[in-house]
Amino acid sequence: MCKWILAAGAAALAIATPALAQKEGKGGGGKPDKAADGNQSGVGKQADPKHDGGHAAHAKGADKSRGDKDSRLASRSNGNDHAKIKANDGSDRKRDDNDNRFDKKDRDDFDGRRDARDDDDRRFGRFGDCPPGLAKKDNDCMPPGQLKKVGSVLPAAFASRTLQGALGQWFRDDDRFTYRNDGDYVFRVNRTDGLINALFPMLDRNFSYYPVGMNYPSAFDQYNVPSQFQSFYPDGGNFDYRYGDGAIYQVNPSTNAIQSIVALLAGDLGVGQQLPSSYSAYNVPLAYRDRYYDTPDATYRYNDGYIYRADPKTQLITAVIDAII
Amino acid sequence: MIKPWIFGCVAALALTACGKQGEPTATTDTAAEKAGDKTLATGLGDNAKLAAAVKAAGLEATLAGPGPYTLLAPGDAAFSNLPAGTLDTLMKPESRAELTALLTHHILPGTVLAADIGKAIDAGKGKAMIATIGGGTLTATREGDKIVLADAKGTKAVVVTADQNRSNGVLHQVDSVLMPTE
Repeated sequence: MCKWILAAGAAALAIATPALAQKEGKGGGGKPDKAADGNQSGVGKQADPKHDGGHAAHAKGADKSRGDKDSRLASRSNGNDHAKIKANDGSDRKRDDNDNRFDKKDRDDFDGRRDARDDDDRRFGRFGDCPPGLAKKDNDCMPPGQLKKVGSVLPAAFASRTLQGALGQWFRDDDRFTYRNDGDYVFRVNRTDGLINALFPMLDRNFSYYPVGMNYPSAFDQYNVPSQFQSFYPDGGNFDYRYGDGAIYQVNPSTNAIQSIVALLAGDLGVGQQLPSSYSAYNVPLAYRDRYYDTPDATYRYNDGYIYRADPKTQLITAVIDAII
Repeated sequence: MIKPWIFGCVAALALTACGKQGEPTATTDTAAEKAGDKTLATGLGDNAKLAAAVKAAGLEATLAGPGPYTLLAPGDAAFSNLPAGTLDTLMKPESRAELTALLTHHILPGTVLAADIGKAIDAGKGKAMIATIGGGTLTATREGDKIVLADAKGTKAVVVTADQNRSNGVLHQVDSVLMPTE
């Protein structure tokens, strides 16, 4: 993503802001860790069925009992050989390219149109004025290989690719939809027919926001606000709300222009992951500190609407214990 | 007869909900209700340059929303200490991505009080890593009785006024602008 940032602004900033201009290399630090079954924790608010853009059942069906959540711990495996718990080594917010990625053949088979450019060229936008995550190929900035995916059957190769970590918490399977991914994109899939209903980029955590004024990518123009924010940011009013790479955007429904960034999401914590070393400072909101304070037996940290509990000894995040927004 | 102020509010709806006395508010009523009255967005009165940057990046609604966030707020003098022309360049429309990156390097997830950072520093034997909402990491240390936050390039920002509580988080005044880098 920083490559895209550079492409957009390096000329202007190379002299004035050396620190910014020096950013380069592969972006996307801190993608959610992939070891835990992200669907294991079910705390959340229900969507407003008036404004959910077809998501009411999605959010509604996602609520599960707290006991259920607490009993589901990190050691669950989703059968993904690539899945692993990231080491708490101080590099926990850097993207691990090998995490949760498919073998090249799997992806080639699905795309059927992979060219010589590598994923990161496309993912982090070196092409023209397309937004991050997209590449320009005279196709309205549609992501390469994605044009035919919406409406197509989810390939069997991705059937077991459930969302992990924070993304699994935000986008939970329900009676209507399941969520799968290919390492770069989230696919929302109709349960009834197995067709891909929507797609959008996975969390990319390296200051990779769509700037205000840019059009929200039409390829992702479906209501895709994470479940915990749906009651705050529904469609159906004067504006639409869309998620993308760590932020929720207010979008003009007529022009698709991004009007505002209404929420920022860290996406750093997930059940089954190690608590990142960068979360050594207690950060629970004031109103909840009388209930969730660190003890020798429990560490509590806040992230993106949820309070998580971790084991102080192992630093393993064991549960989502409260949804506070 | 339609009151004149209604027209003003309708115009304001083009960008945000109709707020009190022109103060930035969250984009929806439910978000504003959750955020409370004295948000991080309304508390930037003494940080004019930061407030202008937040507005230019379209982040007002975030700081007026439910949060909670911890905002490291560089004062006007901190922005003035940047290399000549830096802020002017960042404020241009074509630099919004960079401006957004810079600002999100000053926002932390959750409510992190100075004492919380202090405890983490002590537990870390003099140093603590602090995650920013944008994906970066700051290094916290103590210098005397002050908390100091440093970016990856080593630029230090001293917390000069800590723990200004807001309804959707907390604000710490800092004396330098921190730069996001990998």
